[in-house]
Amino acid sequence: MRVLASFEWSVIWDNRGPLWHGFTHTIKAGVVGIVLAYVVGLVLGAVRAHRIPLLNQLAVSYVELIRNTPILVQIFFLYYGLPVFGIHLETFTVAWLSITIWGGAFMTENFRAGFEAVPARLREAGYALGFTPVQEFLNVTLPIGGRIALPSTINSAISVIKNTSLLLLIGYPELTYVANNVQSNTFRTFEMFTALAVCYLAIVWTLSALIRFLERRLALPEAL
Amino acid sequence: MNPLPEWFRPIAEYILREGVPETLRMAAISVIASLVIGVVLGTLMTIRFRPLQWLIRLYVEVWRGLPILVTVLFIFWLPAFDVGSRHVQLSAYQSAALALTLWGSAQVAEATRGAVQSIPKEQHEAAAALGFGWVGRQVFVILPQGLRRLVPPMVGLLVNLIQNTTIAFAIGVNETLQAGQRQFENVSSGLTGQTAPSYAPFLIFGFVALLFFLICFPLTRLAAYLERRLV
Amino acid sequence: MKRLVVLAIVVALVTAAAVAATLGSAAPSGGVTQAKLPPKPKLPALPAAVKARGKWLIGVKCDTPPFGWQDTSGKNRGYDVEVARQFAKWAFGSTSKVDFTCVTTASRIGTLTSGRVDVIISTLTWTADRERVIDYSVPYYNAAGRLLVKNNVTVGKLANWMPGKKIVSTSGSIYDRWTHNCFKNTSFQVVSSPAAGVLAVKNDQADAMMYDDAFLVGVAANDNSLKLSSNIFLKVPWGIGIRKNEPDMKRWVDAAVRGMRNRDLFWSILRRTIPRRFWKTFKTNAPSPTIKLQYPRANPPENNCPS
Repeated sequence: MRVLASFEWSVIWDNRGPLWHGFTHTIKAGVVGIVLAYVVGLVLGAVRAHRIPLLNQLAVSYVELIRNTPILVQIFFLYYGLPVFGIHLETFTVAWLSITIWGGAFMTENFRAGFEAVPARLREAGYALGFTPVQEFLNVTLPIGGRIALPSTINSAISVIKNTSLLLLIGYPELTYVANNVQSNTFRTFEMFTALAVCYLAIVWTLSALIRFLERRLALPEAL
Repeated sequence: MNPLPEWFRPIAEYILREGVPETLRMAAISVIASLVIGVVLGTLMTIRFRPLQWLIRLYVEVWRGLPILVTVLFIFWLPAFDVGSRHVQLSAYQSAALALTLWGSAQVAEATRGAVQSIPKEQHEAAAALGFGWVGRQVFVILPQGLRRLVPPMVGLLVNLIQNTTIAFAIGVNETLQAGQRQFENVSSGLTGQTAPSYAPFLIFGFVALLFFLICFPLTRLAAYLERRLV
Repeated sequence: MKRLVVLAIVVALVTAAAVAATLGSAAPSGGVTQAKLPPKPKLPALPAAVKARGKWLIGVKCDTPPFGWQDTSGKNRGYDVEVARQFAKWAFGSTSKVDFTCVTTASRIGTLTSGRVDVIISTLTWTADRERVIDYSVPYYNAAGRLLVKNNVTVGKLANWMPGKKIVSTSGSIYDRWTHNCFKNTSFQVVSSPAAGVLAVKNDQADAMMYDDAFLVGVAANDNSLKLSSNIFLKVPWGIGIRKNEPDMKRWVDAAVRGMRNRDLFWSILRRTIPRRFWKTFKTNAPSPTIKLQYPRANPPENNCPS
């Protein structure tokens, strides 16, 4: 408890520059990863839901491979393995690429569940109106299935943001990396942990509150 | 019948011998501790006593909200503290196991709360009518039904925990990924007498990924199967 | 005839004096020639905690060949590890009376100060900053910093080449401080392991990797797309990290290191842990009866900026 009594805010304030840069790096990689993961999830989720031959099998393999291996192994595999094939990527590229690939697999399953949960009668109504399958997807399945899938996809997005912390191990200077460096030099554990906790929990709790808000607002009317 | 290249055999054996048991040990301890702590906390959360609910809710939201790596680093970097006359300092392995347990128990607590609250009120009333006290109700009527619903997600949690043990890499625990990394360092430095072709990292980290896949994939199928059968 | 005899005696005396002078400067500081030393030096009392435990707990690197690494049977090997084993031999009679804890550049000082290990023998370069937090033993190895670059890069004078370049090294290293102090226009990136640094150079994510000579020499020899620039800098010895306020530990460790130096054990350790083709390059890095290493206390290295 003696340690707590000597909590020094000045450590956080003195290092606010690097910490802020770390935070922006987290956001940069995180946002790119989330947006691209949504794209991947939407496309492959549709593929899965409609069981498009060959693509469906490939999508299943992709999802199962990513979900059953640790993300850190995937990150290292990309970082150390791609140069073997002559593919030399910047650290930032490996950063967002690895979390996109990981997040995309989870979003695929989220969207697949959402699309498959669209009541059959709604889809039949669409066909009755003369929609082609593509129009059907764009006008019925996507809007409704997307709304159903939204909470779970935001959960996946939260996980993507949290996993950006692992990028410190390939030298991407995100928030945890900076805080760890400051801790190594100053030995102020509690101060750095507080800074980290505030940043990450702010992001995570905000997004979680967003989920709860959306679940209420976007709830499908019972009549449907 | 030996499909592995010569230079890779000792590396594969090293990873299997030094790394995998450590991974499994960490996962086993974390999942058992998470289940015990999580079920207790989750059940306690259903008691209509605001301060207790808030406290447990805080525990759940903090340890679920933080990246596990941050929790691991925090525990590992904590200065040593004195318990009585003994100087206590968690080792890297213990820090990782504790961090995984904090996260896992938060997940279990939330899931337990959901499962217990999904038991219809009639069950509570019937048990009370039969003369069960609160503890008796929980132990003999509510939890047996609730825990059944928990089994598939708990298998899913085990898969997640096994994968999350790789986070212990960051503090130097010699688990599977760290074992692969060390051998990769050895061959790429050229100073240990080990030689390897240039595609070595591809094979080494691919092998690590394969090991995790072989452990996790059956468990994932099991969870899906149990989901169908039990719920 | 008498004058010739006197001349001969004077010549003989002068020659003898000259020979004695040269012999004297080659003798070890103890004033005893190598051949006469007993195998084990007279060591002070072993620190109580270590003695009670019956074995050493020593932090070493596990991912930095040739100083601290693990072979495929899981055994710790390397120059630092051998020093630790010598301590075990002299303290308890057997090289197996030591348990190793793996540390990284970033975690080694924290691991020591938190009491998880007795000492750290982990490629720890001396810096004035670090000496505020921990104590150093007498030096046990002399490393220099080198730059690993791609073959087509010419470096020349550091002060001219460094600005605007991207340098990579491991976190918490002396190179970090030095580059930040001396080359304000150079961007410095930290990686978590030596191999990641090599990869960064190969991937053109960094212009050069700054690291210890022994490791980089091996990498350059192993990879014909990389080479070392001719710049040698930060030639600072390494020491064994000891917690502050532990005088009995420091006394024992210092006596052991001196004992090893006087018996030329560091050179034999070097020969055991570094491939033969590098022996000549690193012979002068190990302390020996003829090579005494000293910390640059008067002139802290991280402030020593090249012009």
